Amino acid sequence: MKKMIHVSLFLIGVSLLATPLVLAQETIKIGAAFALSGSIAVYGEGFKKAVDLAVEEINAARGIKGKKIEIVYEDNKSTPKDCVTAVRKLITVDKVPVIFGPAASSNFMAAAPVAQESKIVMISAEGAAPALTQAGEYIFRVFPSDVLQGKGVSDLCISLGYKEVPVMYVNNDWGLGLKNVFVENFKKAGGKITDEIPYDEKKTDYRTELIRATKGNPKAVVNLTYLNEGAVMFKQSYEMGVKTQWIAGSAAKGPKLIELAGKAVEGIIGTYPVVSQETKEYKAFKEAWKKKYGEDKIPIFGEYNYDMVYITAKAIEKGGYTSNGIRKALFEVAKGYRGVTGDKTFDQDRGVGAEYGVWTIKDGQIVDYKK
Amino acid sequence: MEYLLQSILNGILAGCIYALFAMGLTLIYGVLNFVNFAHGELIMWGAYFLYLLMEKPIRLPLSLALIPALFLTVILGLGTDRFVFKPLRQANRLTLLIASLGLSFLLRNGAQFFWGAEIRTYGFEIKRGMRFWGVSITSNQVAIIIASVICIALLYLLFYKSRLGKSMRAVSDNLELARVVGINSKRTIQFTWVIASILAGVGGILLALDTNLQPGMGLINLVKAFAATLLGGVGNLWGALLGGILIGLAENLSVLVISPGYKDAIAFGIMVLMLLIRPSALLGKEG
Repeated sequence: MKKMIHVSLFLIGVSLLATPLVLAQETIKIGAAFALSGSIAVYGEGFKKAVDLAVEEINAARGIKGKKIEIVYEDNKSTPKDCVTAVRKLITVDKVPVIFGPAASSNFMAAAPVAQESKIVMISAEGAAPALTQAGEYIFRVFPSDVLQGKGVSDLCISLGYKEVPVMYVNNDWGLGLKNVFVENFKKAGGKITDEIPYDEKKTDYRTELIRATKGNPKAVVNLTYLNEGAVMFKQSYEMGVKTQWIAGSAAKGPKLIELAGKAVEGIIGTYPVVSQETKEYKAFKEAWKKKYGEDKIPIFGEYNYDMVYITAKAIEKGGYTSNGIRKALFEVAKGYRGVTGDKTFDQDRGVGAEYGVWTIKDGQIVDYKK
Repeated sequence: MEYLLQSILNGILAGCIYALFAMGLTLIYGVLNFVNFAHGELIMWGAYFLYLLMEKPIRLPLSLALIPALFLTVILGLGTDRFVFKPLRQANRLTLLIASLGLSFLLRNGAQFFWGAEIRTYGFEIKRGMRFWGVSITSNQVAIIIASVICIALLYLLFYKSRLGKSMRAVSDNLELARVVGINSKRTIQFTWVIASILAGVGGILLALDTNLQPGMGLINLVKAFAATLLGGVGNLWGALLGGILIGLAENLSVLVISPGYKDAIAFGIMVLMLLIRPSALLGKEG
């Protein structure tokens, strides 16, 4: 009898100990410190949808070795401070070995050292600042660096015959980084920067900055801007009757820009990392998107988030559910991997390459620019 | 030359908005003797109330939605007084300051909860501005200037020509004494909130018509209004007007010389300077 009690107590003890472990192993948790509120929540919602789509597909197939992926979303409130808090929480409370990092380079770069110190893999699907992955070997990006884009914008200006331009940029890590690369390349190509106009995010009135930029009626003005700020600026410059060719980067390329600024953004030209829409991967993605969300419009950088989930899932499958395993496996699984956004092979800086294309807005639609 | 003229016009426009905000701020300060940090949120809610009435499912045209939107703003203003500031009427100024700061967060996040953080517009078609001597101005901007002038004229009449204005000034001078001579201080204070809310609502709607709506729109402009209030002398209506226009002009003209990255520094610089010269300004007349 006594023995029976001992055995059953032992069994109860074992089951009590084992239960949390079993529960923890049922899903594979991946952290996501996304901007779900705050100034760039306009991007964050789209990223989340893209990630959810990829997770749903992977889980429907067979998950990772039979286990389902679960994304632990943490709102980073669009501020560097809260990004750090969100990433800390994911590392210490949820104990995830890999995190999908915040958008906006300033926010990502604030949180990257936290992940690096804790030896947790953090991946960016939209951070473009050249210095983004410098925090260390655990920091990756599946989005091309602005070193490429800065050159792209410069090449575009030269090819359109604009040799003297003023440049406006958002006064933060991303804007400054991109502006520097652009100016460097533009000067090398024989161009001349007539003025540099930094401006703050989230303002409602940019008229003063616009007047300064369009002083002397330049034929073209380079404006390295986001969707919201871009919409406000292009609208106000239209109202003021400014006649110049606006040249933008990829962060302003989104349907939201047209929604907010209407005909004021007609004819804007910009560069963007080319994602061929003709590949079978892209077509399948678009089809799946339409099926799940019932709409054609893919939010900005949605494709990159989608690819990020797939590469991460493959890395977990190959390297195991540990941060070191994932870090090493990322290089192997991404090598030659053809995702929706093309070749995702990581270079020595843990970033990816890209081709740059040119977009413009015609009749309220974003289309490829043809001369 | 055109750039100078356009910059002056932009400065006056920004100044009108700052002045509308600063007048509401200074009115509450004058009568109730505390700085209402939540005034910026009253401005923002005024703009969003109009948005609410013009969007699905109500879809009123602008002309019909304007008055109800202002009415809702007044209700909100009176509500904040009834539930937050009235119970604190006898509290010291620091308590009121902190209460208004808390209220500001609450109202801002409330708007974000309902409408999200993204930028919105009333959805009017974007038009090229009219051109005079190379200076462009849109009809919304004309409306801003006209509305500001009307508000100021009405305020003047109210303050110096009406009985109610007299009692407002009396309450502002000395609440106890005003009560002793039989002024209905309760009604006077309520009326002050009505006026301040209307000023906030008008300013917010004009700002949103000219630019966009976003939950932070009140806050970023209120800081400038603070600077204007301090510059013009706290509690002084004409000072608020003059201060607003001066700050608008200073900001817009400075950018022609210095980098626009430092635009905000102008207003903050003026604010700090005023606080150094008159440190009692923020915490009350007699410190």
